[in-house]
Amino acid sequence: MTRFFLHRTGAAALLGLFVFLLSLNVSAQQNGGSTSAARPTIKQISEVELLDLIKPKGKPLLINFWATWCIPCREEFPELVILDDEFRGKIDFITITLDDIEEIDRLVPRFLSEVKAQMPTFLLYSAKEDAAIRSVSAEWRGALPFTILYAPSGEAAYSRQGLIKLDTVRSEIERVLVPAEVKP
Amino acid sequence: MRRKGILFVAIISLFAFTISPAATGGEFAVGSKLDNFKMTGTDGKEHSFKDLQGKNGTVVVFLSAQCPVVKAYITRIDEIAADYKAKGINFIGINSNHRDAESLEWVTKDAAENFKFPMLVDTDNVLADKLGASVTPEVYYFNADSVLVYHGAIDNDRSGRNIEEQYLKTAFDAALAGKTIEKSRTNAFGCTIKRVEKATAGN
Repeated sequence: MTRFFLHRTGAAALLGLFVFLLSLNVSAQQNGGSTSAARPTIKQISEVELLDLIKPKGKPLLINFWATWCIPCREEFPELVILDDEFRGKIDFITITLDDIEEIDRLVPRFLSEVKAQMPTFLLYSAKEDAAIRSVSAEWRGALPFTILYAPSGEAAYSRQGLIKLDTVRSEIERVLVPAEVKP
Repeated sequence: MRRKGILFVAIISLFAFTISPAATGGEFAVGSKLDNFKMTGTDGKEHSFKDLQGKNGTVVVFLSAQCPVVKAYITRIDEIAADYKAKGINFIGINSNHRDAESLEWVTKDAAENFKFPMLVDTDNVLADKLGASVTPEVYYFNADSVLVYHGAIDNDRSGRNIEEQYLKTAFDAALAGKTIEKSRTNAFGCTIKRVEKATAGN
């Protein structure tokens, strides 16, 4: 009777341990696993806050305007992630999405997680799109994707409406970085 | 001397070959007059701008069969087109996207399902280049003399939920009343027109 009781207790303990380990595994999978980055947080901004973001802050500033509904934007995003990896700390790099406000905690963070993007992302929600577009560049008509590089002075050094070419943007960034690095 | 002449011609030719409105970001300015053009429609027939013009003006609107922003505007565009057709302003839809991006069958089906005005197929984005159009939807409103009087967005809000300024309707009403159009150039977010590759200075 005692042996039977010990056998049953041992089996229950093993079963409990199995269930505990299984629950840990499920929890890890639900959280994206230990190797996954945290889910990105996207901040909503207005056209006025956009102006603040564009103001010179001492480093070159690269901005990419995009949206999850924009196919070429999605296509070029992996190249933006490469640029972010290469120039992190040397330039400021932000992306601004024009997605609907409902997507701020749905499609936008999901896509950014998929492409392993780490640069800060903002969602521009404005009833004054014309003013927002004009404040960024006189060359821009509002078509997405749009990428613009500002020199540390705040002057636009490069812009591209449509798909970027990685090597071109890379060399443009290096061009605006050089003057700052040769300063004593 | 002859070699210098050849070099000069070569430089000028290269300049002319490289520079185009699309490459320079140049655009067809408000106040410019549009020459007549002919283009095949999704109905398979050839149409001329002159034949499609309204007695009080014509809107050339660049559209796309896949752009979500265009889709959000379909009802608004159809309503405005119907309202102002009765007032003598005609709409012409233009699809300038590369056929690899939007097949002719797709564009034809989309036009038949969504728009009640003619849809013309701008092969090799010739008209888009001429006008400097870069986004969909993008409208060009020409008066009865084919002079551009308004260029840009339909209104200020893609979603249609917070419309504060009806740019195109305001332009129509001012023109029909014989008044000056106060805001003749606007911008709005939209989809890039997918152009064919041309020999321009790309970046």
